[in-house]
Amino acid sequence: MRNIIKLSSILTLVTAIAALALAGVNTITKPLIEEQMRLAVHNALLEVLPEASGGVCVDVGEKKGELFEAYSSPDTTGLAGFAFKAYGKGYSSTIETMVGLDLNGNIKGIKILFQQETPGLGSKIEEIKYGKSKPWFQEQFKNKNAERVAVDKDDGEIKSITGATISSRAVTNSIRNGFKKIKPRLEKIIKGEQK
Amino acid sequence: MRVISEFTKGFWKDIPPFRLVLGLCPTLAVTSAAKNGLGMGLATAFVLVCSNVIISFLRKIIPSEVRIASYIVLIASFVVIVELVTQAYFYTLYEQLGIFIPLIVVNCIILGRAEAFASKNSVIYSFADGLGIGLGFTISLTVLASIREILGSGTFFGMSVFGKSYLPFSFLVIAPGAFICLGVLLAVMNVFKK
Repeated sequence: MRNIIKLSSILTLVTAIAALALAGVNTITKPLIEEQMRLAVHNALLEVLPEASGGVCVDVGEKKGELFEAYSSPDTTGLAGFAFKAYGKGYSSTIETMVGLDLNGNIKGIKILFQQETPGLGSKIEEIKYGKSKPWFQEQFKNKNAERVAVDKDDGEIKSITGATISSRAVTNSIRNGFKKIKPRLEKIIKGEQK
Repeated sequence: MRVISEFTKGFWKDIPPFRLVLGLCPTLAVTSAAKNGLGMGLATAFVLVCSNVIISFLRKIIPSEVRIASYIVLIASFVVIVELVTQAYFYTLYEQLGIFIPLIVVNCIILGRAEAFASKNSVIYSFADGLGIGLGFTISLTVLASIREILGSGTFFGMSVFGKSYLPFSFLVIAPGAFICLGVLLAVMNVFKK
């Protein structure tokens, strides 16, 4: 009995000290990590919506960082397009994708923000082939209509990755479903712009 | 000097993963590019040094019945620290290493050194052992990753080596290529050992 108390109290002490140390590190790195994530989102926005590079992106989502209006000039005139974040359940992670749209709902570019899919298979959604500068899987989405985008196995135009249908489908379907969800809002915004 | 021999054994005599055939999972998985190999190696080395020192320091306090549980808690804490720090200061590296940083916890080298060395030796020897084995692991990973990246993608740390006319031997970048590359390196090491 005595031994059990001794063992458990030592183990508790070890875990308590570890927890304390982790809490300390977390407090220091949290603001830095948030800043890094914000920067990553900003760079992704520029990548998926090159039209907005001379202008400004305004966060209009219900949650922060989910939906953006992009303007071609810094004084929020000349609505150029939208960008939204899509979430899809992949094989081993929830894949986050930034999607850039023009005013007609055509995809201008996509960028995977987060994925932890199987290295060598699902991770190929970010693969850049030799001699190319951009990932081939994501390049396929350019100028496709966001409402009808689908992988080849679902009679769509997106060539899925061999051995990683789940990951390919997750990205594609998350974009289509995400667009359908925000479509009414986008139409409202465009109407307001024309008045 | 024993400290020096505990340190240098990690570079040749006990170099992981070739001599201590442990930690093969990250070795095979992340060494498709030199930068990833180096980053993974350094992250592992950091965790290894920290865990060796602290486990050696606590070796008389932690009873043997709960040692594995305590070691894992300590190792996991250092891994989370590494994860948070790389995320805060080296975001691109963090994105590239992705799931492999959390997986340092289950790297057998770290628990192996804790169990086989740090729990039986003094802090200074454990530090030397951790640093030597950790740097040895970093060198191995970087060498393996460089060979695979140079031949498999035609680049080294992302810079083009052979120019546009080179047709990369992309087999080396995928997992079977990693096994073959590892085997060839091990064979070369065995030639020199004799």
